[in-house]
Amino acid sequence: MILHRQPRVALGARNFFLLLSLVIASFAVRAAAGGFDQAIDRLQPRVVKLYGLGAGVQAGYGSGVVVSEDGLILTVSSLLIDAKVISVVTPEGVHYTAEIVRRDEKLQLALLRMTKQKSDQNETWPADSPSFDPVAGLFPFFDLACESVASSAQSSSLQPGDWIIAAGNAFKVADGPEPVSIAHGVFSARTRLDARRRVNDFPYTGEVLIIDGITSNPGAPGSAVVNIKGEFVGMIGRLVISNQTHTHLNYAIPRSVLCNFFLQAQGEDGTNDSTRSRESHEDRIDLGIKISKTGYRTVLPYVERVKRKSLADLAGVRKDDLILSINGRNVPDVAAYKAGLNRLDPGEPIEIVIRRGRVIKTIFIETKGP
Amino acid sequence: MFGRISYSASVLFLIFLLVPYTRHSMAIDDERSPGTEMQLLLDTQRACRSVLEATRPYIVRIDTVGGAQPTTQINTKGKEKEGEDPKPNPFRESTGSKFIVADGSTTGTIYSSDGYIVTSSFNFVREPVLISVTLADGRHVAADLIARDQVRKIALLKIEEDNLPTPPWKEREDVRTGEWAIAMGLGLGGRQPAVTVGIVSALQRMQGNAIQTDAKLSPVNYGGPLCDIEGKIIGLCVPMAQKPGELAGVEFYDSGIGFVVPKDRIDSIVETLKTGRSFHRGWLGMSTPRNRPDGVFVANMADPSPMREAGAQIGDRIAEIDGRKIKNFGHIIKATYMIAAGEDVEILLERGDEEITIQVTLARNIDLGPLPELSDSVDDAGTPNREGVE
Repeated sequence: MILHRQPRVALGARNFFLLLSLVIASFAVRAAAGGFDQAIDRLQPRVVKLYGLGAGVQAGYGSGVVVSEDGLILTVSSLLIDAKVISVVTPEGVHYTAEIVRRDEKLQLALLRMTKQKSDQNETWPADSPSFDPVAGLFPFFDLACESVASSAQSSSLQPGDWIIAAGNAFKVADGPEPVSIAHGVFSARTRLDARRRVNDFPYTGEVLIIDGITSNPGAPGSAVVNIKGEFVGMIGRLVISNQTHTHLNYAIPRSVLCNFFLQAQGEDGTNDSTRSRESHEDRIDLGIKISKTGYRTVLPYVERVKRKSLADLAGVRKDDLILSINGRNVPDVAAYKAGLNRLDPGEPIEIVIRRGRVIKTIFIETKGP
Repeated sequence: MFGRISYSASVLFLIFLLVPYTRHSMAIDDERSPGTEMQLLLDTQRACRSVLEATRPYIVRIDTVGGAQPTTQINTKGKEKEGEDPKPNPFRESTGSKFIVADGSTTGTIYSSDGYIVTSSFNFVREPVLISVTLADGRHVAADLIARDQVRKIALLKIEEDNLPTPPWKEREDVRTGEWAIAMGLGLGGRQPAVTVGIVSALQRMQGNAIQTDAKLSPVNYGGPLCDIEGKIIGLCVPMAQKPGELAGVEFYDSGIGFVVPKDRIDSIVETLKTGRSFHRGWLGMSTPRNRPDGVFVANMADPSPMREAGAQIGDRIAEIDGRKIKNFGHIIKATYMIAAGEDVEILLERGDEEITIQVTLARNIDLGPLPELSDSVDDAGTPNREGVE
């Protein structure tokens, strides 16, 4: 019995070594090939942890994306950056302080600059030559490369169903020099944001990238999002609830929007607020439609009167039409109708869907620019 | 045995000899085509895109006008203060969740070429006045809500259209746990569906009415399809939980616990729905005494009620419903919440030493009569649990 077993064991051992060498070989191939790891290797060193002011449910921590080698950081505009001292922790665990270069309340974005290294040895840098770290060298960063058409098309080449990876300081679970948390998911859809934070409507109503993955967590706003190739496609925005579904939205601000903000921020310094005056805007677009005010609880936007020869009249809107949507957005009541009109940009072509009896019609209205 | 090993060893040895060559060639290949792991990810991505493209024609956007949040009549039993009016009626069914229903767009799936659209009843809990549907080609058409199944959370719409494209459905027996599952919905508005990706998590859920998935389901895709990797529809996305109520299960949105109603269930109810008949939750129509540790007994029965008509008597112990052991009142709810009025359950009763099996056809809440006054009350052990009776 034992005699019979001897060669089998020997052969087993040889087999084992053969297998082992195969496994090692395949690992070498694997490391060269890679899956998500390639993108993550590129992503993780370019995201920093932020610490600042917090209050109540507002987290005093967040994430930021490094967008220049001298330490410019893109993040969301929130209570966090209202702190006296904004702390930045780089992936190497080095602490910096940061100052606000620009913040935009309409876009809810902010650009920070790392100013000096925080250390016990009082080793501070002069404010005019900031950010060069003699230890870590220049900061690894995502080149927004806003000038090139190719890069602005990058986020639009992303298609629903594509893999995406986000990295950030969600729930501040990454301590000190620990790398930020990675979450993978799928790009779900491109849509315009229509959301709120508690009772207030969220000011940003532009395009967002909806993510199939849970990124709507404290600390995650300001996380970088890349595609499977590790190309920067967007940044996780503030925590909001969709007005359309009443659910928490997992979304990212697309790179093109970030680019515009970044270019503006570099063009002129200082805090700025690009919020347009909505009241004066409303006056500019007069379609000539008078909406009925009768209704119980919900007042449906029925057309009560159309001014003769007005834009709406010429386009074919009639008395008693029920307005269903403006430029693809539902207008379930009069308030939503008014908000829909306010949202329009001057000169933007208007597409109104109306219901007349059982017929549903789409009406196009051309408006003049400002 | 020995021969086989030495054979496999030599094969392995050959592979080993080939490895340096393979590695070399792969390193060169790397510049043109990505490695195997990356290739797999890219393939999945590509498959997803093509499913989305293939399924798009069958998905419609539903927009509604009017309606309001359904009133939640939480069971206030026991919370009533002395002398206060006991209204609202504590026995009326609750909505099952405090989720606030938005009035944004929702999703539907074309069922047949003659204009029938299946969707989720969730999309109409606000009881809208008007419904319109936007087809994949951008046409807007008025739609009528024909009927609803409040148990399986399905609704049937009709639009005046012919020659609509109809989707391929996957037969239930072909669905496998672990296979890719891709959900789509137009709940965020616009023309392009939002896609979420997961796998099939379980095949038998909600007493056979549902298949479970970990793809994120939410009001964004309720009423939309859950497809396999070939674009065949596994089922229709709906909110569901192991409790009754129109909104039950919505609180699980985006959690990775999602349910879809497969083809066989939809087929089995659509013909009834087409006639305009809705499915409501079914009730037995009886009360049971509280605080009896020795089982669930019939304390009283509404007149008329399914229990009374099936021949149950006051004092009977309910031992089993459809083969499920009944130990407390909650078990009765669990055994019947997925049964619609008009559908049958088999109840095993114990009357003294006798065991009696009765066939009970459940009834709608509103079809139950009042509870008769009992001269000699059985439920002297406190307020009875009531099941569907007022």
